[in-house]
Amino acid sequence: MSQLKRTQLYDVHVQAGATMVDFGGWEMPIQYPSGIVAEHLYTRHACSLFDVSHMGRLLIEGPDRLAFLQHVLTSNVAGLDLNMAQYCIIPDTDGSAVDDAYLYRYEDERYLLVVNAANKEKDLAHLSAVCKDFNCTVTDISGDWAAIAVQGPKSKELMQILSGGEAVTEPMKNALNTLELEGHTVRVAKTGYTGEPLGYEVYTKSGDIVWLWNRLVELGAKPAGLGARDTLRMEACMPLYGHEMGVDADGKNMPIFAVPLAKFAVSFSEQKGDYIGRKPLEEQSAAFKRIMNRDFSDMTALPRRIRPIALLDRGVMRGGMAVYRNEKQVGWVTSGTMVPYYRSEGEGLETVIKDETAKRAIGMCYIDSDILEDEIVEVDIRGKRLRAVIPARHMSVGAPPFARPLLYGHELEKAEIGREESPVKALELLKKAGENHQWRQKRCINLIPSENTPSRAVQLLCASDPAFRYAEHKKILAFYDKDTFYYQGTKFIDRVEQLLVDEMRKYFGCTEVETRVISGQMSNMAVFSALMDWKNRLDRKRTPQRLGYVLNNHIIKGGHLSAQPMGALHDYIAVDPVTERSAVVNFPVCKDNIYKIDVEQTKKVIEQYRPELIIFGKSMVLHKEPVAAIRQFVDEQKIPTTIMYDMAHVLGLVGDHFQKPFEEGAEIVTGSTHKTFFGPQRGVIGVNYQEDDLKYDLWKTIESRAFPGSVSNHHLGTQLGFLMAAYEMNYFKDAYQKAIIENAKHFAKALKAQGLNVAGDPANDYTETHQVIVSVGYGAGPRIAERLERNNVIVNYQATPDEEGFTASGALRMGVSEMTRFGFGKKEFEQLAAMMADCILRDRDITEDVARLRSGYTEMKYCFSGDAFDRALGEFAGQIGL
Amino acid sequence: MNYPTNLQYSKSHEWVMTDGDVAVVGISDFAQDALGDVVFVNLPQEGDTVTAGEPFGDVESVKAVSDLISPLSGTVCAVNEELLDAPEMLNSDPYGAWIIKVENVSGSEELLSASDYETFCENGEV
Repeated sequence: MSQLKRTQLYDVHVQAGATMVDFGGWEMPIQYPSGIVAEHLYTRHACSLFDVSHMGRLLIEGPDRLAFLQHVLTSNVAGLDLNMAQYCIIPDTDGSAVDDAYLYRYEDERYLLVVNAANKEKDLAHLSAVCKDFNCTVTDISGDWAAIAVQGPKSKELMQILSGGEAVTEPMKNALNTLELEGHTVRVAKTGYTGEPLGYEVYTKSGDIVWLWNRLVELGAKPAGLGARDTLRMEACMPLYGHEMGVDADGKNMPIFAVPLAKFAVSFSEQKGDYIGRKPLEEQSAAFKRIMNRDFSDMTALPRRIRPIALLDRGVMRGGMAVYRNEKQVGWVTSGTMVPYYRSEGEGLETVIKDETAKRAIGMCYIDSDILEDEIVEVDIRGKRLRAVIPARHMSVGAPPFARPLLYGHELEKAEIGREESPVKALELLKKAGENHQWRQKRCINLIPSENTPSRAVQLLCASDPAFRYAEHKKILAFYDKDTFYYQGTKFIDRVEQLLVDEMRKYFGCTEVETRVISGQMSNMAVFSALMDWKNRLDRKRTPQRLGYVLNNHIIKGGHLSAQPMGALHDYIAVDPVTERSAVVNFPVCKDNIYKIDVEQTKKVIEQYRPELIIFGKSMVLHKEPVAAIRQFVDEQKIPTTIMYDMAHVLGLVGDHFQKPFEEGAEIVTGSTHKTFFGPQRGVIGVNYQEDDLKYDLWKTIESRAFPGSVSNHHLGTQLGFLMAAYEMNYFKDAYQKAIIENAKHFAKALKAQGLNVAGDPANDYTETHQVIVSVGYGAGPRIAERLERNNVIVNYQATPDEEGFTASGALRMGVSEMTRFGFGKKEFEQLAAMMADCILRDRDITEDVARLRSGYTEMKYCFSGDAFDRALGEFAGQIGL
Repeated sequence: MNYPTNLQYSKSHEWVMTDGDVAVVGISDFAQDALGDVVFVNLPQEGDTVTAGEPFGDVESVKAVSDLISPLSGTVCAVNEELLDAPEMLNSDPYGAWIIKVENVSGSEELLSASDYETFCENGEV
């Protein structure tokens, strides 16, 4: 084996007892003494190290680097931001793959392309030949750098020990970072070939790799070889060149679109021009779309596709075995093995991963494109036909920090539903609803920041007659824009709406208010729809253009769903033809306080993207939004834009103690009426345009996108309740808002004093809003939140800005609004903080303490009282029969 | 590597223990180590005839499949069905985890003593 190449880690592998094999001309560890099964399992539950130094590392530099890469790769390289990576395929002229690769952009002026070890010479020859027509260079730097993959749920923790606590990368997949690990500069990518939701590939100067490997082993990572790398990637359904790509078992080139990842890795952006293989790829894409729509009339360009396959009978599939459907061969197994997995118990968030393991025979196959998901096929295993199924996937990364196996045929437990007659069920419903009301209102301490209990007056008004009516109305120009109703019997609610608009104008300090939207999300959708309509108002003969760019808070950085492309922006946001992604850009956040917008960086982003809409507002909100600073900037720079503040959470804090959005320069404010505000669950839109402003027409469009655009029935009962809530707010807001901010700061300090890890800036007592965020340890959020619920403290678990998603949440998000309304002050929040620390840190049962504390505070504050009011309320309750 | 002296070994790495009229067959420590993690075993059925030098089943490791070569000719009188659910026993206890028992033994491959087998494993020849 003397002619084989060795990586910088060769001696380390041999010392660790690895079995070394020839892999693409390299002498590599196939496994260590613990064996492939143990290595696979350790990756899935802890952290494994893989030597990937053998892979080819090519540097692309020079003025034409982008044009060159657009020509030789399938992906849209123009859409690759700095410090991001993308999966790509090197296409051949016939639309098959020369190789698959990963493209990294650590620096502005060069790209790093990582290719398969066995294909490096072929790739280099191919790329160098094409490169002659471009003013750029392709340099093989494989020898100067070494690389390891650090993969598994513990990988982040271990890497953070070495980085001294600094975030390794942004939590998104494919994020890159250059950072110091105990004095050694490394390049990190949140990528990998194991399917782990947490995993990194780390590049170091050749001389540093042994240090990094040994250091990670010291910290608890274990080495894993190529055997486990193969079983892990197979379970994750990731293609391997030579199996799922390249030449098939019949000797034919496989089309790139046969690989499911092609949907993401192949771009037909105009930016890419006539790149290598574009035409056949377009034909494959057309065939792919037909096939996905179950039109199998023309599969010429894509006769077979790569699919997962799971064996139902006992045995093991291997690459090269024939697959049959009804006695006809429909393709081949391309990769197959038996993989281990941890059994689990329970469902949903309560799923517990057991120590007990099992195995399943799975693989991938290249089979006729008309075979549907869940179809049963047969595999010829050395002369025996065994049954197999074509599942959608073998595992899911959707609930980080763990990759979770998806077993074919697994069924969720069905909720038991009784077969009693309806009258019996009706009685049961009343009983249960009563119990729930008593529990939430009398025994629980509710700290959900997006909730509040409305006063009794508001509740009774919500239940009174308008709740069952319609009151559609619209301004009619012929009547000088007089609001005109469609139905009779609406004079009362007409008056209510006028009064409500007046109260809310007063509250916001703005010119116009729309109150018919019934949720915060709907408020935003009506505004986005109106902005889009307004943008297209002068040209109605074309399909309207969507909004773009829009500047918002990223959901991971606390942004609200109601301003995200996956939420309310979904149908209104353009796709940027250059990046082929939603035309959304995010507020940069301060390095030392990820909860706060970085104003100076934001200015740069605004200059670069010139967003047509800027949306302030968050769901995880500890700070004021820099509305005034950004207003001043866009005015000075004469950047035409619309500034909107989605005050969802902080609607009830408009005023001296928090922010006055319109005074600071917002044009549009939206919000939901039931978080810090006193109302029932609705939305509201305020704008500050004068009648002679150009954008006053935008206001009129907002009205028409509320009705008839969003609602026909705008829920008159809660609209009536909202009016009472607005009276309460305008009367009590100074005292209430002051108490909210003081209580939140005091609660945060008390939790901190109890030894809990409170997020935010200690310089302003951790919060400037009603919210307090406590870190309870990576991934522990759901468990701790559930424990608190059992103890009658209701909070929500929350992913912080450096976590991967809600199942990996390491924080609790709390708000003081509801308990402040029930009369909690500093003393009570201090007592609560002590109880919660007992429960969170010491797992003590605090149910009784909580109930005792809660029982003293059941009467609502900051609402009207006194003999006259109470008498009138009693009379009203009698009148409406409640 | 462990080579118990009470057993005989074939050059295809199966062991044989004779127990009266019945011969018990398994795979050696050397074999299990070379295979790596055994994840599945294909077994014959009771009553099947096995022939010396011919495959009687196979073992699948994560990496590959290998035939089990019968060291004896005869009739299968028992099959270790525990291996169907726990094939990893071949790794953890190769000499305890027998695979088949054979009766009516009518012939055999060349069988080596423990020391000769050890030499064979180390040098590739006896």
